[in-house]
Amino acid sequence: MTITFPHMGQVYIPVKALFDDLGVPVVVPPPVSNKTLEIGTRIAPEMACLPMKINLGNYIQSMEKGADTIVLTGSCGPCRFGYYGIVEQEILRDQGYHAEIIILDAPGRDPRDLLRKIRKISGNSPWKNIIRAFIQASKIVEQTDKLQGIFLRKRPRELNKGQTDDLQSRFEKQILQCRGSKEVMRLIRSFQVKADGIPERADANPLRIGLVGEIYTLIEPYVNLNIEYKLGYLGAEVHRGITIADWVKTHLSMDRKYKKQRKEKLKKGANYLNLCIGGHAWETIASTVDYADAGMDGVIQILPFGCMPEIVAESIIPSISRNRSLPVMTLTVDELTGEAGYLTRLEAFVDLLSQKKGTVYE
Amino acid sequence: MKIGIPRALLYSIYLPLWKTFLEELGHTVILSNHTDQNILDNGVKNCVDDACLPVKIFHGHVTALAGRTDIILIPRLVSVYPGEFICPKFIGLPEMIKHSVPCNPGIIIMNFNARFSMDRGYDGMRNLGRELGATKDLVAQALDRARIRQAEHMRRMEAEPGFNPVRSIDKKDQKPPRLDQGIIGLIGHPYLVYDRYINMNICDKLNERGYGILFPENIPAESVDRACNRYPKKLFWSYGKRLLGSGLCMLENKLVDGLILLTSFGCGIDAFIDELLIRANHREYKIPLTTITLDEHTGQAGFDTRLEAFIDMMEWRSRYDNHVPTYGTGVYPGKSLI
Repeated sequence: MTITFPHMGQVYIPVKALFDDLGVPVVVPPPVSNKTLEIGTRIAPEMACLPMKINLGNYIQSMEKGADTIVLTGSCGPCRFGYYGIVEQEILRDQGYHAEIIILDAPGRDPRDLLRKIRKISGNSPWKNIIRAFIQASKIVEQTDKLQGIFLRKRPRELNKGQTDDLQSRFEKQILQCRGSKEVMRLIRSFQVKADGIPERADANPLRIGLVGEIYTLIEPYVNLNIEYKLGYLGAEVHRGITIADWVKTHLSMDRKYKKQRKEKLKKGANYLNLCIGGHAWETIASTVDYADAGMDGVIQILPFGCMPEIVAESIIPSISRNRSLPVMTLTVDELTGEAGYLTRLEAFVDLLSQKKGTVYE
Repeated sequence: MKIGIPRALLYSIYLPLWKTFLEELGHTVILSNHTDQNILDNGVKNCVDDACLPVKIFHGHVTALAGRTDIILIPRLVSVYPGEFICPKFIGLPEMIKHSVPCNPGIIIMNFNARFSMDRGYDGMRNLGRELGATKDLVAQALDRARIRQAEHMRRMEAEPGFNPVRSIDKKDQKPPRLDQGIIGLIGHPYLVYDRYINMNICDKLNERGYGILFPENIPAESVDRACNRYPKKLFWSYGKRLLGSGLCMLENKLVDGLILLTSFGCGIDAFIDELLIRANHREYKIPLTTITLDEHTGQAGFDTRLEAFIDMMEWRSRYDNHVPTYGTGVYPGKSLI
C-alpha cells in the first residue's frame, strides 16, 4: 500500500510527516502545474469545479510514481466537495486506474467506520502511535501556518526585494527531503528564525488587503496564480481568513475555545447571512465584515468558477462593500484563467486602494 | 394581505403546500406570470453573473411581482428530507434576493428545514403563520389541509407517468400520454423540465414526434433510493438523488428508449449527477443519451436541431441496430462490397 493524497497548499508537509511517522510509504504528488491541470481537465466533467480537476491530475501523476491508495477527506454537503471521492473513483475506473480511494468522512452515528479506515491507512499501527502522529501533525500544521504568516508580513516590507521569496523557495525544496515530524519541525523552526531576521524597510506602510473566499482557491497557490506573492510585490500586506490550521481545528479537533471564537466571528456577518449554506460562504461574509471592522484597505474574494456557496456570498458582498465603504473585488478562477489579465486587475485594484489611502506605491 | 409567490424554482413541486397554507390563513396568493423574455431579461440584469439560469429567472419573477403585491414570499429550502440537503443557492436565496434586487420589494422568508425530522421541517411554516398574525390553532389547521393537498400532488406525480405539475397548478387537463413511438426519459431539475419557456417547450416537441415522456418525479421514491445504493456513499442532495436514481431506475428496468439530460449551464449538482449517470449508461446499459445545456443565450434553432438529431439517431438505431450484414453484403441491401 502506497498512499497519496491531493495537494492543497502546504497540506503536504504535515501529511507526509504523519505517514512517515507511521512508517507508511507515501507519495507526495508533484507540485501542481499546467500538466496537472491538463490531465484533470481532460477527464473531469466539464462543469466540475476547479479543485476536482486538479485533484484528479494529482492522483494520476502520483500513480505514475507508484501510489495505489488515495486518501481524501469528505463532508456531507451541501457543497460538492462531499461527493468528490465517489465521482473521482468512477472516473479513474473508466480511465483504467484501479487505485482505491479512501474517504475520511466526519463520523455520523457510527464512528467505527472512520476508525477502521484510519487504522487501515496507518498500516495497522497501534492506536498509541496513530494518536501521537496525529498530534505531531497538527503541531506541524500550526507551525507551517505561522511560517507562512511571517512570509506574508515580510514580503511587502523587505529591504532587499526578493529575499522572502528566495527563503520560501529554499524552504519548499528542503522540506521534501525531511523524513518524519521531528526533522520537519526542526526545519520549520530554523526557517522561522531566518524569516524573522529578514531586514525591513523603516518607512514601510503597506496597504492591507484581506483575502476571502473558497478554501481551496485561497490555500493552493497554483490555483490562485500565487496571489499572495503578487500582492506582496505590489506592496500590499495580505491577510487570509482561512488557513489549514483553522480547517483542522474546526473539523478535526476538540478545541472548544477555538470553536467559540469561530462562532463569535461568524456572528459578525449575521446582518447579511446567518446560517451555514455549505462550503465557506458564511466565513467569507463574516470575514469581510471582520476585515471592515479591522480597517483593512480592501478585500478580494476568490472562488472557482461555478462554486455554489460562494456565488451566494458574491451576491451579498456588494452590500457590505456599500455599507462599509470597503473596496471589494471578486475574482473567479478556472482552467482558462490567464495570468496577464489577472495581474492587470490586481494592479488596478491596488492602484485604487492606494489612491483611496493617499499613498503611492512604487 | 396579497402575498406574491414567484413562479420559479421549486414552485411546481411545492406550490399546493404553500398556496393552500396561505389561503387557509385568509391571504390572497398572487403568482407571477409564466416565464417570458421580459422576466428572463430582468433576472439576468438583477443577478450576479455566476449564478445559474434558474436562479436568474427567480430574480426576474421577483421583479415582476414587485408592486403587484403587498409582500413577496421567498422560500428558503434548506432540506426537504431528513439527512439531506438541496443546492446551497436555495439556502441562500432570500439573501441573494435581498442584496441583488434593487427595487427592494418587501419579502417574507419561509424556512423549510427537514434536516433533522420531517415534522420539524414544517416549523418554519408554523412560525411564518404566527408572524402573519394567525392563532396557533388556525396555523395547525391550515398546515394540515396544506399537507393533504401536497400529499395528493406528490401522489399524482408518482402515479401518473408524464404528469405535468404545472398544468395541474394551472388547472388544465393533463395531456393523454402518447406511446406510439416510444418513451423518452427527461432527466432534469423540476425548474428546467416543467418551465416551457426555459426548455424551449421540449415536452410538446417530443410529443409531436410521437414520444411519451417520463419525468424524474414519476419514479417512486423507494426505487430511487434503491438505485442510488450502488454508490458507497449516500448522496446528500435530495434533487440530485432523485435525478440520478430515477435515471438509473429507467435504465435498469428498460422503461425508456432514450434519455435526455436537461441541465443549466453552471449547475454544480448536475455536473456530478449527469457524470455518474452517463458513465453508468456507457458501461452497462448503452441506450441513446444526450445532454442539453440551457442558459440565457440558448437559441431555439440550435436546440431544435439537436433534439431532431437525437430522435433521428434513436430511430435509426432501433431500425438498423443488430442488422449485421452477411459476408460480402453491405449494410444497405443491393449494394455489394465485393
